[in-house]
Amino acid sequence: MLLSLLSKRSLNDDSRDAYGFTVRPQHIHRYREYANIYKEEEEERLQKWKTFLEQQVGSTSAHEFNEANTRDVVSEVTKQSNDPAETVSGESDDSNEPARNETVSGESEKRSDNDTEEEGIIPNKEAPVTTQHAKSLEVQTWAKISPSLDSIEQMLSTRVKKRKNMEGKTVKHGHNDLPAIDEAKSESEDADDDDDDKDEMDSVNASEVEISASDKMYPEPFFPRREELEFLVRGGVPKELRGEVWQAFVGVRTRRVETYYQDLLATKDDDASGGQEHDKYDLPEKWRKQIEKDLPRTFPGHPALNEKGRNSLRRVLSAYARHNPSVGYCQAMNFFAGLLLLMMPEENAFWTLVGIIDDYFEDYFSQEMIESQVDQLVFEDLMRERFPKLVNHLDYLGVEVAWICGPWFLSIFVNMLPWESVLRVWDVILFEGNRVMLFRTALALMDLYGPAVVTTKDAGDAITLFQTLAGSTFDSSQLVLTACMGFLTITEDRLQELREKHRPAILAAAEERAKGGRVFKDPKGLATKLYSFKHDPESIVKENKTETDKIDKMTNLDSHGANLDEILNGITVDSEVDSLPDLQEQVVWLKVELCSLLEEKRSAVLRAEELEAALMEMVTEDNRRELTARVEQLEQEVAELRQALADKREGEKAMLQVLMKVEQEQRVTEEARRFAEQDAAAQRYTVHILEEKYEKATASLTQLEKRAVMAESMLEATLQYESGQSKALSSPRLGRLESPRDMPIKKTGLLSFGLGWRDKNKGKPSNDGAPPDAETNGPQQ
Amino acid sequence: MGCSSSVPDRSAGRIGGINPDNGGVVDAKNLKVKLVLLGDSGVGKSCIVLRFVRGQFDPTSKVTVGASFLSQTIALQDSSTVKFEIWDTAGQERYAALAPLYYRGAAVAVVVYDITSPESFSKAQYWVKELQKHGSPDIVMALVGNKADLHERREVPAQDGIDYAEKNGMFFIETSAKTADNINQLFEEIAKRLPRPSPS
Ligand SMILES: Nc1nc2c(ncn2[C@@H]2O[C@H](COP(=O)(O)OP(=O)(O)OP(=O)(O)O)[C@@H](O)[C@H]2O)c(=O)[nH]1
Ligand SMILES: [Mg+2]
Repeated sequence: MLLSLLSKRSLNDDSRDAYGFTVRPQHIHRYREYANIYKEEEEERLQKWKTFLEQQVGSTSAHEFNEANTRDVVSEVTKQSNDPAETVSGESDDSNEPARNETVSGESEKRSDNDTEEEGIIPNKEAPVTTQHAKSLEVQTWAKISPSLDSIEQMLSTRVKKRKNMEGKTVKHGHNDLPAIDEAKSESEDADDDDDDKDEMDSVNASEVEISASDKMYPEPFFPRREELEFLVRGGVPKELRGEVWQAFVGVRTRRVETYYQDLLATKDDDASGGQEHDKYDLPEKWRKQIEKDLPRTFPGHPALNEKGRNSLRRVLSAYARHNPSVGYCQAMNFFAGLLLLMMPEENAFWTLVGIIDDYFEDYFSQEMIESQVDQLVFEDLMRERFPKLVNHLDYLGVEVAWICGPWFLSIFVNMLPWESVLRVWDVILFEGNRVMLFRTALALMDLYGPAVVTTKDAGDAITLFQTLAGSTFDSSQLVLTACMGFLTITEDRLQELREKHRPAILAAAEERAKGGRVFKDPKGLATKLYSFKHDPESIVKENKTETDKIDKMTNLDSHGANLDEILNGITVDSEVDSLPDLQEQVVWLKVELCSLLEEKRSAVLRAEELEAALMEMVTEDNRRELTARVEQLEQEVAELRQALADKREGEKAMLQVLMKVEQEQRVTEEARRFAEQDAAAQRYTVHILEEKYEKATASLTQLEKRAVMAESMLEATLQYESGQSKALSSPRLGRLESPRDMPIKKTGLLSFGLGWRDKNKGKPSNDGAPPDAETNGPQQ
Repeated sequence: MGCSSSVPDRSAGRIGGINPDNGGVVDAKNLKVKLVLLGDSGVGKSCIVLRFVRGQFDPTSKVTVGASFLSQTIALQDSSTVKFEIWDTAGQERYAALAPLYYRGAAVAVVVYDITSPESFSKAQYWVKELQKHGSPDIVMALVGNKADLHERREVPAQDGIDYAEKNGMFFIETSAKTADNINQLFEEIAKRLPRPSPS
């Protein structure tokens, strides 16, 4: 019940989940996403459970409960939920039995004497008496679970194999002192009364075998609402009720023997414990040491596992080791005990652990770990049956199924899945009271993650992927539903059958180990050998394996056959091997045989169906593959076309560029040409102008010449006239020409030229009318 | 646990599954080897792996149940790479029954003891014998004395380790997962000792 002792705040740490466990940094985001879903689910299931328990009490109250109880359930449930909204319905019932509520919610550390108070109400044979010393202890050692769960517990506890002589043991140890337990510091001593202890336990085991043989087929009592309860369990047990519900499932009260736990913790010999306060529980050294090593490595950093929590954990583990020396202490149990301690008082955790390890996981964590190895072989069988494709792929990669699932099974998923999922799986396991859910969950995980793993091309990647994906299974409801609904054919009977088949091989191997030298010289090693036992010769023929493989297996079978028989004879439990003298027994045996044959047939039919389904899948897969190929081809073509197009575009662009360049050049030359033309025009124009000027100049020159000629002739004429004047009279025409105008001409030639020019210009406009004097005059000359 | 290699080796593919029994050599330049860590509980196997793969030391590591897997690739000076696929096993004695599952087919076995614990040293010797009997015949073995930082509490002289390793043809090194001393060297030395496929 350590969890409830924690302050709310310490759990509100960002990196921790609702149970105080650290969430891996890479998962924090997903955890937060799911935290809200969890919360919703939690509210919903609390409501459902409340209703169920109320009705439960109602239906059984006639003969088991008084009316007060009915009301009590409501208050209990509400008291435990921390949701303030829920407390409203709690009303004043709290005052009815305050002591019990205290126990139930575990909020008080000190024990009150509520146990005695309850005696009358609870119809249980063992009348709990509060041990006097417990009061002085800080740690709450034992608390009765709420009576509302009584009927559940009663129903399920019929399967509890009670160890009869435990009571004898309690009598033997009369100590009532639960020692104050601190760190066990000194590392030596002890181990002296080992033998003593073993003898005692041997007798325990002997009687246990007898009992278990008889109640193998435990008759389920009539429990009308079992299915409803099963449904509720699969939906999850509400957090607030979980600790108690689990205890009810495991049948803690039926298991419990008064003062047994305290006696286990008491020093064997009080007188000898002079100064050696710490070396107690006369625990074999190796277990004590291992426990010490593992205490700090159990949920490290969890706020509840402080010094006090560690001491509780040490006590529970030590007590268990003494309680069942055939198991003693096995790594992994530290996590289980730690988990239980978070949810219930110390002694309750002890008894729950006893139930889990002694019954549900019998021989699982024992010295030779036989059943855990058997389960691995069984699981591999189931895997091959259920997921042939995945197993083939794993085979191809060289990955053994047991590499992945071994740790899952051994840790019951603790540290392998997110906590919410772990607890949901535990809900079902503890309810069902066997390991079916272990298999179903593992198969569900394969179902969920197999498709992803099939895509890996490397052993390391495949294993890593499994680890990572399992670690991120936050959808706990999906997991549990897949497990429970998807693998209905995995039943306890089926598992038992498969276990029987595989157990001899494991036992043989263990035997060899115990002898020291193992016979297995085969380089392929133990597991390959074990694998060979999984198939009887007939099935080997059916198996779709290579020739060499087959031969391998046959020879293996032969070589170990003798060994096998030896071992089988040594096992009393195995009824099949025993000789059957009695006719009646033979009939029974034949019946059993028939049943198992029918079962086999059934599973063969099932397998055929599955194979068919697999075939269909393969066909569709094939089609898909073809289509994929087609698509790929088309894609290839498209890509090619695209490439071609791109190439063309490239060419086009290049050409365009060339064209543009040419155009550019053209434009340049055009420009140049235009400039040249302009130039030429300008030049032509100037030429023209010059020509004109030249013409004019020449014209004026000719005129001047004419004038000059005229002037000359005039001058001549004048000269002639003058000479005529002086000699005689000249002609009248010449006389008329003789005018005052003649005077300036006389002066200079130049002057006459200038005058002539001016005259010419004056005379121009009237060119058409009367010809200028000069012209008219000229031709006259 | 859920941690992939920091340098995922995509190029190493196809061949891995075909010869899982000899450590899965990919090619002459890029090796892939299966490595298994064995040794008494609490000697620091998990801490060594975590130091090597994640470069961290967590003084409160978790107890290993069954086994756990991590991988890490290192580059050597000659530009070749080695991908270690590491199986970290549980140390408690009874889990030894499951160990063959993990050391079978391993190319490398690292046997770890704690230099402050003679008991763990004799446990290491047990593992060496077991490997000699049942491991791959050409397995590369390393003997590692961990927690070298606790030298003032040393109970196993380094010379004992050296001698035992020499006698058994092993490579010996003392490391500290806490201070990271010799951790990388351990794996580099192993990488150098791996049998290389002759480039043909
Ligand atoms: N001082 C020191 N302590 C170390 C060193 N390595 C490990 N430890 C401590 O030893 C404890 C055990 O280490 P682990 O790595 O968990 O041991 P393991 O060998 O994996 O043990 P199992 O999982 O039980 O087999 C850790 O809690 C560390 O505190 C080291 O190099 N120096
Ligand atoms: Mg470890």
